[in-house]
Amino acid sequence: MQIELLHQPGNTAARVTLAPGETITSESGAMIAMSGNMDITTSTHKKKSGGLLKAAKRMLAGESFFLNHFESSGQAGEVIFGTGLAGDMMVRELEQESLIVQSRSFLAATDDIDIGFGWQGFASIFSGESVFWLNLKGSGSVVLTSFGAIYPVVVDGDYIVDTGHIVAFEETLDFTITKAGKSWLHSYLGGEGLVCKFSGTGTVWCQSHSSADFGQRLAPSLKNR
Amino acid sequence: MQTAIKGSKAFSYIEVSLEQGESIVCEAGGMSSMDAAIDLTARLNGGFLRALIKRYLGGETLFVSNFTNNTSQPRTLTLVQSVPGEIRCQKMQGEGFNLQPGAFIACTAGVKLGLRWAGLVSFIAREGLFKLVASGDGNLWYGAYGAMIEKEIDGEYIVDTAHLVAFEPGVKLKLQLAGGLFSSLFGGEGLVTRVEGKGKIIVQSRSLAGLAGWLNPKF
Repeated sequence: MQIELLHQPGNTAARVTLAPGETITSESGAMIAMSGNMDITTSTHKKKSGGLLKAAKRMLAGESFFLNHFESSGQAGEVIFGTGLAGDMMVRELEQESLIVQSRSFLAATDDIDIGFGWQGFASIFSGESVFWLNLKGSGSVVLTSFGAIYPVVVDGDYIVDTGHIVAFEETLDFTITKAGKSWLHSYLGGEGLVCKFSGTGTVWCQSHSSADFGQRLAPSLKNR
Repeated sequence: MQTAIKGSKAFSYIEVSLEQGESIVCEAGGMSSMDAAIDLTARLNGGFLRALIKRYLGGETLFVSNFTNNTSQPRTLTLVQSVPGEIRCQKMQGEGFNLQPGAFIACTAGVKLGLRWAGLVSFIAREGLFKLVASGDGNLWYGAYGAMIEKEIDGEYIVDTAHLVAFEPGVKLKLQLAGGLFSSLFGGEGLVTRVEGKGKIIVQSRSLAGLAGWLNPKF
């Protein structure tokens, strides 16, 4: 399987080339185009495992209830994935490790990756910004998307990322919901409110822009329904 | 202080590295990530009344954030605007620079942000009743929705409303119909802003009003 990112970072699409019999799983609605010999199965879970409970958890995480599995039958084929918002994508190879992904950033994963509800789910509900996490585990490739460009931050110590700007982070990092700077008042008045503080060593991938901030800026110009 | 604008013109963001004792001022909510050792102090954007005016009539935030590195090592932070688009840095040497509402992102300590009456004309043109005037010495970062088009004018030039981002002090605004009455009303251009004088103007390739106008009929 080959995953190629096209037109980075402004209007990125992911082209996945599959050998006969290979499968890739994506979030529903992500397919833009594909070759004619693709078999699509829609399920509530990862192929051959999981079940309704996992799907319900995923829905809680702001993801679709369904996942699509694309399998090339007979001969090689390709499928192209895209997203609703303009932005960058990244491919991350996992080897028996786990990556915590902000749910809206998940696009696709290869067959041997398990897609679960993140363990930090409940900590983030209290942040009031409804950030949900998916836990991607196993060996294979993961494709993530962002609103804006993606930049990695290698954390060694403490680092703060505004909640709307997180794409994914390594499981070796701990995070707490806290304030920016020393004072709650200043963090709030400075427009940052609650932020995520990462501690330990590992990498966090950030998106340069926040779709929530853009939405807030645009909303006053939209008519009430 | 070291700064760099990254992320291409489509998604520009500002990477800042602060040395010991250095600080940078940024609009409220503009920080996307930072070293946890950096101190954040929020303060009113000018005096109380001026901050209120800037917020409600100048399109800026009520508070600005002051990020300071009080440690002995360099610390990094990342700043960004809410809309996707280009960010530029203006090196100020006392000559002044006019910003349209919402364009301000960040500045170094030596830059002052003042407020000037822009006139009713500007308000009707949806460019805001007040304009932000930056003065002093240092770096000023401002942003646009979409890409920026720079134009050196000498005399008159016409810009569609809500597309003007910034202009040099030698330039003044006037408002008028784009063409005759018919083409103004039916040609989709409506009111335009006439800029007059000598100096540089910055125009943005897109406008939020344009996006909203396209989205609204779809709901």
